[in-house]
Amino acid sequence: MAKRSIVPFGPQHPVLPEPVHLDLVLEDEVVVGAVPSIGFVHRGLEKLVETKDFKEYVYIAERVCGICSFGHGMGYCQSVEHIMGVEVPRRAAYLRTIWMEMSRIHSHLLWLGLLADAMGFESLFMQSWRLREKILDMFDATTGGRIIFSVNCVGGVLKDMDSGMLARLVDTLNDIERELRPLADTFLQDYTVGTRLVGLGVLKAEDATLAGAVGPMLRASGVAYDARMLGYAAYGDLDFAPVTAEAGDSYARCEVRIREIYQSIGLIRQAVQKIPEGPIAVPVKGNPNGEHFMRIEQPRGEAVYYVKGSGSKFIDRFRLRTPTTSNIPPMLDMLKGCQLADVPLLILTIDPCISCTER
Amino acid sequence: MRPTRIFPFAQTALQNLFRKPVTTAYPFAPAQYPERMRGHVEIDIEKCISCGLCARSCPPGALTVDRAARTWTINRFDCVQCGSCVNSCPKKCLRLVPGYTTPDTAKHSETFTRPAPPESDAPAAGGHPVNDPDKCVYCTLCAKKCPQQAITVDRAAKTWALDAEACVGCGLCAASCPKKCLTME
Repeated sequence: MAKRSIVPFGPQHPVLPEPVHLDLVLEDEVVVGAVPSIGFVHRGLEKLVETKDFKEYVYIAERVCGICSFGHGMGYCQSVEHIMGVEVPRRAAYLRTIWMEMSRIHSHLLWLGLLADAMGFESLFMQSWRLREKILDMFDATTGGRIIFSVNCVGGVLKDMDSGMLARLVDTLNDIERELRPLADTFLQDYTVGTRLVGLGVLKAEDATLAGAVGPMLRASGVAYDARMLGYAAYGDLDFAPVTAEAGDSYARCEVRIREIYQSIGLIRQAVQKIPEGPIAVPVKGNPNGEHFMRIEQPRGEAVYYVKGSGSKFIDRFRLRTPTTSNIPPMLDMLKGCQLADVPLLILTIDPCISCTER
Repeated sequence: MRPTRIFPFAQTALQNLFRKPVTTAYPFAPAQYPERMRGHVEIDIEKCISCGLCARSCPPGALTVDRAARTWTINRFDCVQCGSCVNSCPKKCLRLVPGYTTPDTAKHSETFTRPAPPESDAPAAGGHPVNDPDKCVYCTLCAKKCPQQAITVDRAAKTWALDAEACVGCGLCAASCPKKCLTME
């Protein structure tokens, strides 16, 4: 039997500035086990809900994460709206869907860049982030912020997009679609990139389901599960089917995310065609009294929101389960049997967001 | 089976050699901000009535309103440009404008002082609310809306009282009254 040793990995590590620590159990250079520990960046954002007005808390909810900030604001608002029986105007639901899909494009392009960076393919990383910049500029033009958008409010959204702005958005997406093609070809067809991704970290469908994988991680193992199928916001009106791949390896996870960027562009085009005229918010009277549990599909996977109010302007409890929390156990399964040198890349393929996870 | 190609990135890499940089040469070229950008908060201090609603709605607590000293103070380093104050201002004297404020090595505040009142020292905007007891249903909405807690309504005794000292004349009570029995005089 080979000699066992334990190598500490993180919280500062070569993948990305997300503080996760792993104790890697190695036999020679092969990983046979990994013990994770998190808790380096806990901020207590859920507790703050008890001291902030429930309408103001939207601004804090969206600061849980710098990448999925729109989704967190939207998930919180939708939960409170359900409790209070508020029907959001259809135009607001469409605008939320458009911004949510823009977030997905921005998150997946960021991930593609990080993947290229983890492989040492610096120019591909730069090109991916150059494309992402176009989406960030569109966010800046439509919401007023590049990362934190502050457009969600309980009862709808705060800013509208006129037809000129929507046309500009579609033009930008056409540019992105055209410019993404050579990059996608590089990720999916390049021989060298393939040697780093194909067959690495295989997660079978039943293992992924048992370990509780969500999002692109689950869909790359061939399970067609996506919370957008629930039809919240305007997803019920749009033609949508989850993107899946069969292999369950790192290449499949990369492929699913690239195809999801194209799918999101298609969804925004559909939403722009179907968006109805009308108000963008309804006035909200009173305080939430009751509880609600809801799921939405964030770029990284399914996120769960639980809100409980007791009739005062302060919420009693807000609980958020982020996709990375569910993706850590399947990641540990995936690490078993891989080479030490592949650990950074494998951690990256779950698209970890530890600051989200710890809130 | 996965299609494999050698050097599919070569064309992109070669094109980049002959393209202009995609980044701008800031600070030599000025930064372009979109119209909606939430850069920093500006106040039209002459319209301000020191009601304090902006300070109450500010999530990071970056605003201080001193009614007696007639000042509005913002700590630009605490402000997160969420726009909560702009949405809550009853007089619409706050706005978010593009462009960042200058960086510094220490946090400091910026204070704006409202111009001195006219000789009579009457409330600056809109006067005080006056209740019409014939129409009033004592629903207490005006008291709940008042940012200064200047209105006391007793539903059982059917009384409506105003603390004229505390009233800032923001007009939120009259705007919220379902029976339209409050007038600003």
